[in-house]
Amino acid sequence: MKGIGFIVFFGLISWGGFSQGNNQEYIKKVLETPEVELLYSYYSQDGDNAAVTGGEGTEKLTDMTPTIIVSIPIGEDNILSLDAGISAYTSASSSNINPFDGNKAASPWVESSGASRSDALTYFHPTFIHSSKDRNKILSGNIAVSAEYDYFSIGFGGGYTHLMNEKNTELGISGQVYLDTYNPQYPIELRDGFFDNRITGTGTYSPLFNEFNDLNRNSYSLSLNFSQIISKRFQASLSLDFILQDGLLSTPHQRVYLQDMNDFFIEDFQLADNVELLPSSRFKLPVGGRLSYYLNDQMSLRAYFRYYYDDWGVTAYTGSLEIPIKISEKFTVYPMYRYYTQTASDYFYAKETALSTYQYYTSDYDLSEFDSNQYGFGITYKDIFTQSKVWKFGLKSISFRFNQYERTTGLSASIFELGAKFIMD
Amino acid sequence: MRQFIILFIGILSLSSCVAVREYDKVYLNDEEMNLATKSLERFETNFHIYREAAAGANGGKTGGGCGCN
Repeated sequence: MKGIGFIVFFGLISWGGFSQGNNQEYIKKVLETPEVELLYSYYSQDGDNAAVTGGEGTEKLTDMTPTIIVSIPIGEDNILSLDAGISAYTSASSSNINPFDGNKAASPWVESSGASRSDALTYFHPTFIHSSKDRNKILSGNIAVSAEYDYFSIGFGGGYTHLMNEKNTELGISGQVYLDTYNPQYPIELRDGFFDNRITGTGTYSPLFNEFNDLNRNSYSLSLNFSQIISKRFQASLSLDFILQDGLLSTPHQRVYLQDMNDFFIEDFQLADNVELLPSSRFKLPVGGRLSYYLNDQMSLRAYFRYYYDDWGVTAYTGSLEIPIKISEKFTVYPMYRYYTQTASDYFYAKETALSTYQYYTSDYDLSEFDSNQYGFGITYKDIFTQSKVWKFGLKSISFRFNQYERTTGLSASIFELGAKFIMD
Repeated sequence: MRQFIILFIGILSLSSCVAVREYDKVYLNDEEMNLATKSLERFETNFHIYREAAAGANGGKTGGGCGCN
């Protein structure tokens, strides 16, 4: 895989055939100086439908993600972008992969203090972008690597964008592949050798569970993009993705409780009848559109719409609106709203409603029917003269966003995002 | 979905055949008019991928590369 990455990377660097011209006039660089973006997010959620505990239990989770993006100009026509970050989270439901390793009574509503309570996902995502001399053709390639305790992913992709009609029309095609591998952490009571003399229930605890044989998950996507300037104040774009996933699409630590099996407990914690079982392939078809309209010197409108379909039975619609308002030369505020609705997957069943004879089932409420509303605001400070300095870098902009997310299943989430962009003097 | 595409193509067809020249793009070049998602929005896109079944067609991840759908 490393070899493929190097071939893509050096191939892009050396490929300049389509971009050569005889014009010797001054050409503005695609990026004048190196830029550094520091991003940070804090996310917290709570709800009562944890998938790890079979659809009932605390969903309390917090996540912090510091990220750095460094963009470096290479020659006049190329940009190398290095994107790296860590997503560190603590999750009450993940802690209940083993609910019996803490000091508190085992319960789906109580966070355990074991090792599965927290984890960190680290990722590195370099991208190389090449523009032709006339800036009408843009070629890009990327590699993506990420790892957490129970998951490893390597990916690669590329894209081509063609601008035409005096840069009023833009057509793009891109592809991305992720090759992921699970290191499954099954619920503790389903692992080989599990024994606990506190088990209560009628009969003998004998779950259906079998370990997964295929631990790989591959994702392939092809994206088509079209954008068009409609007037001096109005532009729009349309995106169509074809996505195919195959392999292990079940999450190995998500419990399911079945209707036709006896219930067994240790303390207040019900032991799993099985883990979720989902098909080994999934085809997704999202279509999205964006509109930007410049109302006046103080205000513009940014809208987004999406229709989504997949062959697991989910149909979804998304709509969002953001209204940037310039309150001064340097400050812009952004009220925003997003609405989302989805139908349930064919394989979703609430706790103890699926039967053991079914081929597929899950009690993951992310695959249930629900609507969600998200509302928030942001503020950006911009200084085009970069008067504030940090070492050799001038502060170009600093942004803050806050959003509140409410789902009709009862899940509630908040996200704070902070970003600062610097350019080298 | 069909209505969605027809509506969108209808909106695009409102454009005239005359291209907007570079010197007339002062409003379109405003940073707030960018059609792409802002880099800071990536965190919202990520949690939507985890918490919702739908993904893609928004410039973010489409699935894979994480334990998400």
